[in-house]
Amino acid sequence: MSTQLLSANHAAALSATLAARANRKGKGFVSGVYPITPSTECMEYLCNQKIEKGRVVRVESEHSAMGVCIGGSAAGARSFTATSSNGLAYMVENCIAAANLRLPIVMSVANRTLGPPWNIWADQGDALLLRDAGLIQFFCASNQEVFDTVLSAFRLAEEARVMMPVMVSMEGFILSHNVAPVEVPPQALVDDFLPLTDIPHRLESVPHTLGQMEQPHQTECHRFQHHTAMLGAPGVYDEIRRDFEILFGRALAGAIVPYRAEDADTLIVSMGTMGITAEAVVDALREAGARVGSLRVRLFRPLPVDAIAAVFAGKKRIAVLDRNIGLGLGGVLWSDIRALADPGAVVQNYLTGLGGGDVRPEHIAKIVSDITARQASGAPMLMEAV
Amino acid sequence: MNEICNTAAIFRQGNTNCGGCGMSITLQMLRRAVGANPVHLVIPACCGAVAGGTFPQSTFGVPTIMSTFASAPAVASGLASVAALNGDPTRIIVLAGDGGTFDIGFATLSAAAERNEDILFICYDNEIYGNTGGQRSSATPQGAVTSNTLEGKLEQKKDILAVMAAHRIPYAASVSLAHADDTQKKFAHAVAQKGFRFLHILSPCPTGWKSEPALGLELVRLAVRSGLWPVYEIFDGKRYAVTIEPDFSDEALDLYLSLQRRFQKSGMTAADLRPAIERNWQSLRALSGRIIPGKREG
Amino acid sequence: MDHAEISGLDLPLEVRVHGRGGQGGVTCAKLIAGLFGQLGFHVQTFGDYGSERAGAPVQAYARVDRAPIRNANKVYRPGHLLVLDEALLGPHILDGASPGALLLLNTPQPLAHFGGRFAPYRFAVLDATAIAREHGIGSASVVIINTTILGAYARILGLPLTVLEKAYAHLGLSSDLPAAEAAFATVAMEDPRQTAPIAPAHRAPPPPVKPTLEHHADIPVTLKTGNWSNQLPAYVEPPAPCNHACPAGNDVVGFVQALNKGNSEDAAALLFETQPLPSVCGRVCPAPCMNACNRAAFDGAVNIRSLERLVGDSSTYAIPREDILHPQHIAVVGGGPAGLSAAYQLARAGHAVTIYEAGAELGGVLASGIPAFRLPPDVLQRDLSRILALGIKTRLSTPIGKADLATLAKDHDGVVIAVGFGVSKTLGIAGESAGNVEQGLAFLARVKERPETLSGTVVVVGGGNTAIDCARTALRCGAGTVKLVYRRAREDMPAIAEEIAEAEREGVALLPYRQPIAIHERSAQADVVLAEMEAGPADASGRRSPVATARTATLTANRILLALGQANDHDLLPTGWSVRAGRAYHGEEALAVYFAGDCAGGEGTVTHAIGSGRKAAQAILTRTHALALAKDEALPVAPGQIRFDAFAVAPPHADRLIHPAAFAGNFAETNLGLETAAEASRCFSCGHCTLCDTCLLSCPEGVIAQRGGRYRVDPDYCKGCGMCVAECPRAGIEMQEKRL
Repeated sequence: MSTQLLSANHAAALSATLAARANRKGKGFVSGVYPITPSTECMEYLCNQKIEKGRVVRVESEHSAMGVCIGGSAAGARSFTATSSNGLAYMVENCIAAANLRLPIVMSVANRTLGPPWNIWADQGDALLLRDAGLIQFFCASNQEVFDTVLSAFRLAEEARVMMPVMVSMEGFILSHNVAPVEVPPQALVDDFLPLTDIPHRLESVPHTLGQMEQPHQTECHRFQHHTAMLGAPGVYDEIRRDFEILFGRALAGAIVPYRAEDADTLIVSMGTMGITAEAVVDALREAGARVGSLRVRLFRPLPVDAIAAVFAGKKRIAVLDRNIGLGLGGVLWSDIRALADPGAVVQNYLTGLGGGDVRPEHIAKIVSDITARQASGAPMLMEAV
Repeated sequence: MNEICNTAAIFRQGNTNCGGCGMSITLQMLRRAVGANPVHLVIPACCGAVAGGTFPQSTFGVPTIMSTFASAPAVASGLASVAALNGDPTRIIVLAGDGGTFDIGFATLSAAAERNEDILFICYDNEIYGNTGGQRSSATPQGAVTSNTLEGKLEQKKDILAVMAAHRIPYAASVSLAHADDTQKKFAHAVAQKGFRFLHILSPCPTGWKSEPALGLELVRLAVRSGLWPVYEIFDGKRYAVTIEPDFSDEALDLYLSLQRRFQKSGMTAADLRPAIERNWQSLRALSGRIIPGKREG
Repeated sequence: MDHAEISGLDLPLEVRVHGRGGQGGVTCAKLIAGLFGQLGFHVQTFGDYGSERAGAPVQAYARVDRAPIRNANKVYRPGHLLVLDEALLGPHILDGASPGALLLLNTPQPLAHFGGRFAPYRFAVLDATAIAREHGIGSASVVIINTTILGAYARILGLPLTVLEKAYAHLGLSSDLPAAEAAFATVAMEDPRQTAPIAPAHRAPPPPVKPTLEHHADIPVTLKTGNWSNQLPAYVEPPAPCNHACPAGNDVVGFVQALNKGNSEDAAALLFETQPLPSVCGRVCPAPCMNACNRAAFDGAVNIRSLERLVGDSSTYAIPREDILHPQHIAVVGGGPAGLSAAYQLARAGHAVTIYEAGAELGGVLASGIPAFRLPPDVLQRDLSRILALGIKTRLSTPIGKADLATLAKDHDGVVIAVGFGVSKTLGIAGESAGNVEQGLAFLARVKERPETLSGTVVVVGGGNTAIDCARTALRCGAGTVKLVYRRAREDMPAIAEEIAEAEREGVALLPYRQPIAIHERSAQADVVLAEMEAGPADASGRRSPVATARTATLTANRILLALGQANDHDLLPTGWSVRAGRAYHGEEALAVYFAGDCAGGEGTVTHAIGSGRKAAQAILTRTHALALAKDEALPVAPGQIRFDAFAVAPPHADRLIHPAAFAGNFAETNLGLETAAEASRCFSCGHCTLCDTCLLSCPEGVIAQRGGRYRVDPDYCKGCGMCVAECPRAGIEMQEKRL
């Protein structure tokens, strides 16, 4: 185990590289990549690695990047790509195809605001375009988490009970360009952690067609099978966490990360780096006697509703921070989880850091004081960056 | 020829294509060229995707993946990469219509050609968006009525082979399905060759062309004879060879037009098309380095 | 019009139309909705769109109600069912229809044809396809009947036709109204004859849907597309024009194709079926087959005559003779080509044949009337030996008179009379009896016996092969000038074109449009007065008879040879006998005595004689009238049916001709024929499959397979596109209506 100083982009790329090499005795690794700020560094790093039995195809668009991944995966190879923002939006059609075709492609997304108007900074709205498309979605809060989650994503995606794409998000610049120490396991341990890719429906020699026409009844069955497989993913993920800890000697972050939540009456819920800040604020407010806790949702799809509901039980005030907005309704995380709170609990949505602004401790402290003063939930409110 | 074994077909009986479909003929001819070579097919959203039949039955007799409309060359690049990495002799073949080639798939096609991916790209060009009921594409010829150009298309057909030649790919050719030997030779060469190969096939579409299903190959023959559909090969983007000499017959051209109701409204005649055909052939003669009179007497 | 006027309308009404993709089913439902909409009802219509393409069974729906329609689903309980094609009557066509529902079917069959099959329904039929075809709606292969059948629908609903006008106009279909009118007039219907509830058809539940991940097996397609069309290609064998034209009945295309495949023995076997004299005919036949050859319109007729000669000259094929239990004894009177042909066929069939020939040798005109430079005696002898080798007895120098004939008929199981033409025709002009005027045939016969010497000018009168033979023989006998006088144009001359050309090349001067009107004898010479002729009025056959003008000229000739043809003026029959249709009768009693060759019809060619002889032989064995063995009436393949572009231009292989420097005394054969059978490769094989695989290669469905030297179309999958028919280079396939 070595420690390297890496940006989260590079951490994702290195993780993918190790996973790629781990399949050298299998069908190998194929990736299609295309640059876009702020995920560009990830693909650059990947392009500069030597991968035995691997090919990174420098294509002409994100749409084709995912196209190459679909082809590689359909032929049985391990596959990975990285993108951001409009790149992801351009890729959406093929992401949906990859999901429906049940191809275990892993993608790293450096979250960025969708434009125009152009804005290169962090906003989770890009990844959330694909909320319902049948891809597993993680949101990370640190470089180490990005490295570990990407590595585990291959295991999860390629697990026979799951077999679907996994998207690992990091906030653009805030995390993607943040350089920090990352513990990197040796290739041999990665080889042990990741079995050779085995895609049961890959194209071999027996004539069969992937993606052909379906009748309504067939599609409804396939959608529900896909849905059911997704619902089983958290359980599979927990198995992976156990293996991860045994092999690498450290913990892999869970689907959700509660922090001092058990005895809290007020909970700050978020995805991504805001959760780390929230944990720091919790510590500070606890010092002042407030019964505050944090819940970081790492696995957003499938949404671990039971685990979240268990954390919510007994909480009177829940502040949900969204670095995104589902226009016409409110924060996406909030709209998905507000029904999981106890009846009568105040569940207030704070739109924080839309368009990439910092969400500093004082913002979160202000949120806690705001929700403490509330007797009832209100409409989602904007917490402007200052 | 030996007895044809239908179970070995790339495109099986019981498919849902229209009777007389040029894509069907293309696939039957492809089978003969492919022989025992292992093949994977990539098909974008087009009539070819519908031709794949309904889950879980295999209308295609080889492993096949349906891609999104614009993505076939990209998906094929992925498949070809895996084959190359594993020393697998499987040939990756894209079967796309003119929409997936000339229009929505154009950027993807261009990029895969520029990367010289080990792909055989077959465009069955029926000059129309057949799968959506017959709208114009940039492959639709001037004067043809489509469901969204009711007076006949005003613009000329895109010269896709010139574009492909500009990519300097190892092999690009136009094919006449009406000349089985020509088709067979080109298919065989294109299957065997490494790198990006592009075959452009005039694919009769009785539904879109509003013509008799039985006359599909005859229409191709007339298009070839009249010079409207030049049949040639381009090696490495520079060496041109005309493979079938037309007789530049105006009679054939007029017959070609009159046998398709899509040209009825615009009243397109041989005289209207001849100048463009002659220009096209002048440049083709210059490129092929063979000075043959553009029009033969008698 | 008010709603109440529509008879038996049970609302809400659901209509289901069963049609074929691209053939107007959806429009039909639209028209129904339009019709009811115009009557003030609430309506709805839509097609059941799937992935199927042109020809596939599809459904379309219409709903009608007084209240706004609140159902967007497909129609499951149709009150009206319109079936646009009888072939769509599958097991599930009536699904959901209750007793009393209307079933309107497009079929050529009458109501009674269906028996009680649709007894619970109000059942109506009409032949909409025939009506629409008559009105030219749709294309040649696909007749569109939606607008036609609605005329019948209106009639069933008790509505006047006028209600259709607006709906049709709205969709731009007003020109189809006359077809609807015809349907209105012809639809036949019957009321339900049974009201018991109908057990719902059993439908298997859908199979469990395999997850995407488990989809890696090859599961074959079950869709049978054979029902997408009512037509199916059939491999037919229409007569090739050469076969059709051959008076001898030779399988010309058969033997030429056998040569093409390199099977010279097969070629011989086929030829010897009908042709006892291939070496002869391969030289002297006017070859109607070549005149009919479709390749003539492309790059020149196939040189069939010389291919036949090649077979005749080189074949070692042993002609089999049948061994039968009870051979008949047959007498053949006349040893010319017709008699030889009859004897040949009878002997092959195992019968005992005796030829009675008046002359000293067999062959008739072949032996005496055709000069050696065209038909060398050894060539004739080869053909004769082959015939006699079948065990035929000959009685030479045995003329048969009337009394002999009666005896022969009594002593034999059958008699064939083939004594050829009678006397040669004459000019009927003054001076014709002059000493240096002679019948051409007599001249030819004499010269063949013993060459003689001529000098000066020889005038030959006539335009047939005998005239040409006389002219060329005269040259060889030393004539200085040979002039051939013919009363019509050169192109009207009945002689073989190549022979005329050869004669001209050898120096014979043709004088067309000339006719002798008088001959003045002047010791060793004679003056022939020739009138200039011009085309007169057309005769009954459309041919313009030449008439003499007043313009004349005089030729001085040393010899005048008449080759004007022969007349059939025998007086052969014993008293009380008569001839009807080539068979002799004694009073009303039909005798086993048949006539063959020139004495029976008189076409005057060897090939006609051979055909006639063969027919007489068949007639004698079956005791039928010779004329009953009529030719196949099917039309031969026309040039327009041949796909010329499937063939490369290749001019005919010409015969090897010898042009002697000096003619006098030179009777060597001048035409050496072909060296090889390569010419056979030019044969289009009209109407006769050569297993060229074009159909197989052009079939979009891949449903044509070759097995055991034949092609087979899989009717379960053929969509009836007709590509194979259009692509077949030789018109060997045609589309046929399927029998339901």
